[in-house]
Amino acid sequence: MVFRCDVVLHAEPGTGYREEALGKLVKRSRTGLVCRFWLMAFFLCLPIAAAAQARLAEGFSRLPQGALVTLMPLDIELYSISAGGVVEPQAEWTAKAHANLWEAFLTRQSALEVNFKPLPDDADEVIQRLNRLHGAVGLAISGFDLPTKEGRLDWSLGDEAIAIRNQTGADYALFSYVRDSYASSERAAMMVLGALLGVGLQGGMQVGYASLVELSTGRIVWFNRLLRARGDLRELDKARESADALLAKFPE
Amino acid sequence: MSRSLLLLLVLFLSGCAAMAKIEPGEVKLGEAMTATPDSAWNRLAIGTPKNTEVWTSDGLPLDRLVFYVGIADGEPLAPLRERSDRQIPKFRAAMPAHEIVEMYEVFASYDGSTFQRGKLAPAQFASSEGFRFEFARVRKGDELDMRGVAYAAVRGGKLYMLVFEAARTHYYGKHLARAEAVARSVRIGR
Amino acid sequence: MQRRGFLRCGAYCGLIGVAGSLVAAEGWQNPPRLQRPDPASDEGGLWAFLDREEARLKRSRFLLRDGPLNHYVSGVACRLAGDHCPDTRVYLVRSPFFNASMAPNGMMQVWTGLLLRMANEAQLAAVLGHELGHYLARHGVEQLRDAKARSAFGQFLGMAFGAAGVGAAGSLAQLALLGGSFAYSREHEREADRIGQELMLAAGYPPLEASTVWGQLFAELKAEEDWAGDAGTRSILFASHPDPEERSLAMAQNAATMGGSNADTGSEALAQQLRGHRREWLEDELRRRKSGETIALLQRLLAQSDNGELRFFLAETYRLRAAAGDSERALAAYGEAEARAGFPPELYRSRAMLQRQAGDEKAARESFQRYLSLRPDGDDVEMIRGYLREGS
Repeated sequence: MVFRCDVVLHAEPGTGYREEALGKLVKRSRTGLVCRFWLMAFFLCLPIAAAAQARLAEGFSRLPQGALVTLMPLDIELYSISAGGVVEPQAEWTAKAHANLWEAFLTRQSALEVNFKPLPDDADEVIQRLNRLHGAVGLAISGFDLPTKEGRLDWSLGDEAIAIRNQTGADYALFSYVRDSYASSERAAMMVLGALLGVGLQGGMQVGYASLVELSTGRIVWFNRLLRARGDLRELDKARESADALLAKFPE
Repeated sequence: MSRSLLLLLVLFLSGCAAMAKIEPGEVKLGEAMTATPDSAWNRLAIGTPKNTEVWTSDGLPLDRLVFYVGIADGEPLAPLRERSDRQIPKFRAAMPAHEIVEMYEVFASYDGSTFQRGKLAPAQFASSEGFRFEFARVRKGDELDMRGVAYAAVRGGKLYMLVFEAARTHYYGKHLARAEAVARSVRIGR
Repeated sequence: MQRRGFLRCGAYCGLIGVAGSLVAAEGWQNPPRLQRPDPASDEGGLWAFLDREEARLKRSRFLLRDGPLNHYVSGVACRLAGDHCPDTRVYLVRSPFFNASMAPNGMMQVWTGLLLRMANEAQLAAVLGHELGHYLARHGVEQLRDAKARSAFGQFLGMAFGAAGVGAAGSLAQLALLGGSFAYSREHEREADRIGQELMLAAGYPPLEASTVWGQLFAELKAEEDWAGDAGTRSILFASHPDPEERSLAMAQNAATMGGSNADTGSEALAQQLRGHRREWLEDELRRRKSGETIALLQRLLAQSDNGELRFFLAETYRLRAAAGDSERALAAYGEAEARAGFPPELYRSRAMLQRQAGDEKAARESFQRYLSLRPDGDDVEMIRGYLREGS
């Protein structure tokens, strides 16, 4: 599940249809930029204090003892921002981040002995559909405040969520999404130069969420949003910190 | 790009009250239309083009109810950036229902989404002889399956239309009855 | 031929230099199979990113999963790729634009808008060969490095200006750069053209067909410009394939030196493969609302095979364009479609709407009735009955 931009009425295809390798990269960072705008718009429309904010659905406070939670495929991308602002995906970092976050989730000290179990790799049609739906749900939850919700966490994936339970035997599923950008060393140098000239440059951001779904009902029972200018997924110990931040106030 | 930054700034400064609450009861839509929802909705208060109203229950990525209020002859449904390399279809008062749907199709598939029209039949809308159509769409951006239903009528040479679209899984079924109820309550007044 | 503004100096000015270099060029030698790069390198980063994109593409709702068609297009790509065939993976994507691409990791995409525009198998080979050219000559990675180098310099400039109080500084300049286009350079495009034609020749296709592809594209763009009055520089077709006329001439020139002109173009082979798909792709094409290009495309297809289906779509293009005189053009075209095999029953529905708008109520009713009789279970049956009630 990837954040996309069709939040306004008619998404403009102005980013162009070039699908050449590099074109796609830039297109994604260009749409990514517009997406990042909306993302940031959403995230910034919150009290500044809520850099990470965990929410619980009504009537849900904790996972039951020994609960089995399916880890949905982690949606993580790590980027470096070169001196000129070219956003470049970093394969090695992303692979490490995957491994680290996975490891961090799986080896969490859990008071309730919650077990995390990864989803088997060959996702079928229904699971893919639920994954896509969850992407939109995550965006909706993180997005503009909806007055009718009255601050409640009140979203669901619907009846179809039971398909995940059928496949895995788990009672809950954890979705997580992280986009992380890091300033390359050239950029760091530029930032220093910029500071001297009195110009601010963005150094990198960590944006993401984690979401716990109760599979028998499809309800999102816990949701944590993350937005901050620090964090590092590339080394295991630092990744644990990010995992902890993602799972802040996890109901275990 | 700088337009986005400006908007971002505006959002920040406005305290981000992007959504307003619609309570049950009569609501004015644009200059000539009213609706009387019997349950609460959220209304997008920023960034909608003139003649357009957008409501949602669970958030724009999941469900939206869009009103087009009095689109005049020669006007497009929405002010898409006028690219001279694409012909934006304009409403014509003499358009039969099929052509109005074809026009909507262009807007709905503008970003590369697919569009498939389903049932199309005459229906009362806004106390006029109008029509109702169903459709299915795969949204390009996140490849989410969407389903929709729309009501439209032409009155005094102007187009009045209501389009409800939501994620096919769970959300369309969740809100369909409420959306149809809103459609039934629409009146065009003076 | 009248010169148009967007051709700038004119194809002929550049051609002499190009032709000179082409004649002097050696034949293309395929490099050995490309190895997977070190993940820590910039190329490695790109590669792994693309691997993830490919995984996404495999799950995409816009991917065509038709077995025989995929097999056919992959077969053509494989013949062209030679030793690199095992590294080449072809994906067909439903999108009405003229586009094909090949990523540095071997993933090739072909869009249905392009397939629709191919007159024969040799033309398809020309396009696939061109993309293979970018892949084999490693243009993608060069581009990334170039972009990074350029944009660092640009940002420095932006900051310097900003500090001096001139123009947008810092992050706005950065954004402007990010928004800039990273098109393959002209040199890259020319090289890929050359390599593509060499691959065609080696695989037994006539290289001249490559020139025809661009000539056809140019004709479409010119038709759109004639209609829309726009220089066409912002057309999606044009943006990613600059100067089609110049390239067409360059490739014709090159083909003349290459031989292989008697090879079979394979028009029947392609036509057979596309038969079951063309209707859907033409409906997608109509939705683009670029009537100049669509009409030029349809007229070209009609020149190859004059049938009721193509005539119907030509009529639809006029009906949807709805400019002065289009109603008459559409009605005439529906008439011609009706006289040929292969038109869909929707012809009667469309014709009825135009007849009614023209005031010919009797003819409109007959057409609506005809449509109802042919599509008694259509999902718009009630609406048609409504139209009939209206007129009475």
